[in-house]
Amino acid sequence: MDLIGTFLRRPAAASILSLIGVLAFYAIFGGVDLGRFAAAASWVNLAANLGIVALPVGLLMIAGEIDISIGAMIPAGSMTTAILSGYFGLPILVGMLGALAVGVLVGLVNGLLTVRTTVPSLIVTLGTLVAMQGIVLSSSVLLTGGVSVSLAAPDWAKFAFGHLIAGSHQVIIVWWVLLTMIFAFVVHKTRYGNWIFAMGGDKDSARNAGIPTKRLTIGLFILSAVCASFVGMCQAILFNSAQVSGGMGFIFNAIVSIVVGGVLLTGGFGSILGIFFGTVTFAVVSQGIYFTNIDRNWSNLIIGAVLLLAVLMNNTFRKLAVNYTGAKNRN
Amino acid sequence: MATGATSGSGGLGRVLRRPETGSFLGLIVVYVVFALLGGRNFLTAPGWSSWLNMAAEVGIIALPVGLLMIAGELDISVGAVLPASSLTVAIISSHYGLPIYLGIAGGLGVGLAVGFLNGLLVTRTGIPSLIITIGTMFAVSGLTLGFTILIAGSTGVFIVPDPLTKSIFGEALGGMFQVGIFWWAGFVVVIYCLLHVSPWGNWIFALGGDRQSARNAGIPTQRLTIQLFMLSGFAAAFVGVTQVITFGSAQVAAGSSFIFNSIMCVVIGGVLLTGGAGSVIGIVIGTMTFAIVNQGIFFSGLDPNFGSIIIGALLLAAVLSNDTFRAMALSYVAKKK
Repeated sequence: MDLIGTFLRRPAAASILSLIGVLAFYAIFGGVDLGRFAAAASWVNLAANLGIVALPVGLLMIAGEIDISIGAMIPAGSMTTAILSGYFGLPILVGMLGALAVGVLVGLVNGLLTVRTTVPSLIVTLGTLVAMQGIVLSSSVLLTGGVSVSLAAPDWAKFAFGHLIAGSHQVIIVWWVLLTMIFAFVVHKTRYGNWIFAMGGDKDSARNAGIPTKRLTIGLFILSAVCASFVGMCQAILFNSAQVSGGMGFIFNAIVSIVVGGVLLTGGFGSILGIFFGTVTFAVVSQGIYFTNIDRNWSNLIIGAVLLLAVLMNNTFRKLAVNYTGAKNRN
Repeated sequence: MATGATSGSGGLGRVLRRPETGSFLGLIVVYVVFALLGGRNFLTAPGWSSWLNMAAEVGIIALPVGLLMIAGELDISVGAVLPASSLTVAIISSHYGLPIYLGIAGGLGVGLAVGFLNGLLVTRTGIPSLIITIGTMFAVSGLTLGFTILIAGSTGVFIVPDPLTKSIFGEALGGMFQVGIFWWAGFVVVIYCLLHVSPWGNWIFALGGDRQSARNAGIPTQRLTIQLFMLSGFAAAFVGVTQVITFGSAQVAAGSSFIFNSIMCVVIGGVLLTGGAGSVIGIVIGTMTFAIVNQGIFFSGLDPNFGSIIIGALLLAAVLSNDTFRAMALSYVAKKK
């Protein structure tokens, strides 16, 4: 009884329940063989690519900000790698560092504009999203004369960033799990995590308590842009080519994963475990439908329904958590 | 000018403090730049029709989205309502062969229903409208795709509208100017009256400024929020109706570009995302600026991809100048006191 209560009060509770619910739904109504599904690569690959972006964006949302420019940073990362190392033939290390540097730069612009002005980060990053799309497209056309560049990465880079484990699982899954563990440690075990939660709860009080809120915000924006261009870089190395399009789908998909994972859009509440399970839930819903005998055209409907249900559950559980501590204090 | 007491500089100051001044200056600069780059073609009828047609489509949606943003809410689901409405029209009137007015009523009904659902969920749950409308966007696009495949068996449905319907919703005057431009003008007049003449408009500003105080002052905030979401659903559905009648076909995948485009028009037009400030004139100016950059780039001989760099820069410039203008306006009031 108390165990259940403790579980329900955790931010990750709704995402874990949603995941179980979706799996049960697919198994009962869709006739999915869960063993075969667990071994399948499609949903893990999707979850890993999405998850690496969702982690830092989730931190931003816990801090009360949002970053939608990631939609342009994924193609920016892959194009930078492919143009530098593929088209100009520079060493792959230069291309990779270039991609990450573009991420640092855009994150810095996002962060500076957000902390220096009163403009909401949704609008700031909408501006950089559109601007970066244009910059990536036009620089690709100007430099290479096309919108798609091929890239031949050396073996060590392919092994580290872009080969298929057992012929089906992308190596980026390892990076995702690794990054999740690092994020979980930093957010839940170091003071930086506390700072982020404090900032999302009440920015003014956080600053008054001595937290360098501006530097922290800029750092978080840099983190999310770098993670997005890292995903782009890995995709370019994996597929041996980079396209200027793609990435826009990540914007809403990442937000859905994070919110299903129990992060409060208004800030101050959430967990890395929640974001992890939110991403897994999203990937299971959108890829799992291919394993069912449900018509796959309905998958968006299920995503929408899961999002709304998970958010409602989160709301209920959060009230539970808040009331619980309140009751304890009164006694 | 009416007070007579204000000096010349005071009058200028008052003009500068109006929320749409910055966006108007932006419009002039953008138009002049593209007129210089684009030459005669951009200044004559083909040039005007190309950007006005685009402005009309996105403008009809940007107006109610702007009202929602003034009230402190967002609506992402417009991107899914638009194709849902087009396909409803096409399925009812073409696939089932029912009269076109039933199809149009059905399409608009879909928009109103989704808007009602959005409003109900936002007011009842207290979850941010960004999240709610992302959820309904996914759900509506899933329903649209699922039902279209189920009923029509493909992702696109064709329709041949009768001449009367075509002339009302989908005619191009002189082969260039879509009739949608006049509908946009109509929407502008109606929404201008709603926001700036009727008491309903004051309610919206009050809602965006401070929801709690607005409710305490007796404003029916929940009903108002639901009405605003229904308005944006209706407008998105209306554009869906005009598109299906103009092009003679409805596609499942259309509409997602309208989500960010409508928000950008509204923000370039000087509306605050945080609510409580903005004007219909500003939204119209923002829409025209957006459309001129988007279409003018094709007349300018520049690489078309530069267009989105300019839009992004313009968006950031607009919000930054709004920031400055607002600070000026607020400090001015403080000085007077």
